[in-house]
Amino acid sequence: MRNTLKQLAIAATIAISAMAFSTSAYAGKIRIALSETPSDEVAAFFLALDRAKTMGLDYEWTAFADEELAIQAILSGQMDIGFGTPYSAMQRAKAPVRIIFQLSKLKFFPVSSKKYSKLQDLDGEPILLHSRGGGTDSIANVIEARMGIKFGKRSYVPGSANRIVALIAGQTDATIVDLSNKNKLVKQTGNEFNVLPMFEVDASDEALFANLDWIKANAKDVDIFVQALVSVYQDMHRDPTIIRRETNPDGPIGQLPKEVLDELDGFYTDAVAGGLYDPNGGGKKAAMADLEWYSNAGQLTGDPANLKISDFWYMKPLERAKQ
Amino acid sequence: MRYRSLLLKFLSAFILFGSWEIAGRIPVSFAFPTFIESMVAFWVLLVEGTLFVAYAETLKPLVVGVLISAILGIGIGLSIGLSRKFDWLVSPIFIVMQTAPLAALIPLLIMVYGIGLTSKVFVVCIMAMPVIVLNTSGAVRNTPVSMIEMGQAYLGTRLDIILKIILPAASPIIFAGLRLGVSAGFIGAILAELKITPTGVGDIISYSRSIADYPSMYAAIFSIILLAVVFLNLLEQIENILFKGPRQVYASE
Repeated sequence: MRNTLKQLAIAATIAISAMAFSTSAYAGKIRIALSETPSDEVAAFFLALDRAKTMGLDYEWTAFADEELAIQAILSGQMDIGFGTPYSAMQRAKAPVRIIFQLSKLKFFPVSSKKYSKLQDLDGEPILLHSRGGGTDSIANVIEARMGIKFGKRSYVPGSANRIVALIAGQTDATIVDLSNKNKLVKQTGNEFNVLPMFEVDASDEALFANLDWIKANAKDVDIFVQALVSVYQDMHRDPTIIRRETNPDGPIGQLPKEVLDELDGFYTDAVAGGLYDPNGGGKKAAMADLEWYSNAGQLTGDPANLKISDFWYMKPLERAKQ
Repeated sequence: MRYRSLLLKFLSAFILFGSWEIAGRIPVSFAFPTFIESMVAFWVLLVEGTLFVAYAETLKPLVVGVLISAILGIGIGLSIGLSRKFDWLVSPIFIVMQTAPLAALIPLLIMVYGIGLTSKVFVVCIMAMPVIVLNTSGAVRNTPVSMIEMGQAYLGTRLDIILKIILPAASPIIFAGLRLGVSAGFIGAILAELKITPTGVGDIISYSRSIADYPSMYAAIFSIILLAVVFLNLLEQIENILFKGPRQVYASE
């Protein structure tokens, strides 16, 4: 009995110290959490990282399987700064993190078979979305609120690419997908499917966020980072082909297959034309749009008019970068 | 002795949940709730009935998959144990299945079987079947030779020897294999719900995570562990009742 207790005590000590070590702070490089593996969509972000490096930023990045894992890694302090829109974490879990830069807007496209030609036609009809509580689910909520309709049964398949496959295979008649998959669909099938007209959205899909204390303690690094992002976003709006031209051929984007790299110019030209990125990093306009959007979508509770922007965004790095 | 083991079980649970509570209070992460918060969320999920609805969904692929794995698995395992040729032919498949990185194979399964129940049943089978097959074949092969020789001495036919000697002798280990198969099947069913389409308990986990309702997320994970422990204990009890006899014979051998 005594021996067993001793063993238990030792095991507990090991477990607790292992936990303590794993969460201890790590100095030096800033650790960036990506919510997806490097792809065409983050090419602009990696170009900004390259620019930041020449300006003296030391970093390392880790790609997570999905946005929620990246958010959790930042909440638990294993990562410093990352991708995501952690509004519910900020409000519900009272996590002291703040958004500093809008990386991309929620530009998603309702696509359907020829059965429907406008959003109102989807009243009472089933729709295929990413996951319950996810981005496309919130878009569906807002569409319902704005159009005064109510979707029928919602079913869920993660990944725009998978939903396009389901649409083409006839497993669904309506779904919501991202820009690159919408373009793929139109390119592959011509006008066999409809892209339903959608209202303008300024809210964020991906934003850069970090722990507020960490942002303040590392103001210099954060400033360099945001400055690099603003410069890339503004250059990109003047000339979208800059992403392809300036991408480091030995970097994670440069190493992608040639077919992907060849598409970069087309992707960024479409994205800039479609308003996927804000050349000014979002700021107050994005913050206000986000509060309204995520309240409608059910991720934030309470009247959006009473929510304080400063509880969700930290504007100083962006303001300094724009000066 | 019985009380002491019960006491130790409680002590181990107390240490585990106690460290969970402390870790949640530090907190190690804002995404990590305390034990008490999680239990409150667990209670809410229970009272609202959300958990029952979810498990009705999750148990579908699990039950179908485990049934298929049990019937096919024991049959294949017996054949492997009885025939060397069949062993060479079939065993490698199950050894590969057991070591294959299932999560990485899921896109392949989706491509072939779509996003419905079939893919999920497959995931459960891939997890559960190898353990059942390999345990069964091992058990059959390890039947005490002296008993088989005795059967032959009494002029038992091959069928007699299989049904009256090999199967009863192997059944405790076959049952242990089934138990391991069911627990592997549990992992498979949850993995399928997280990786293929979020339904049932997998949906509670992914939904709570995306709205940052971490107590509910951990409550759902806790419910899976709880259900698996209860179910496996139940199987163990059945095993004890069923195979008390043969075990005692072995002990006196």
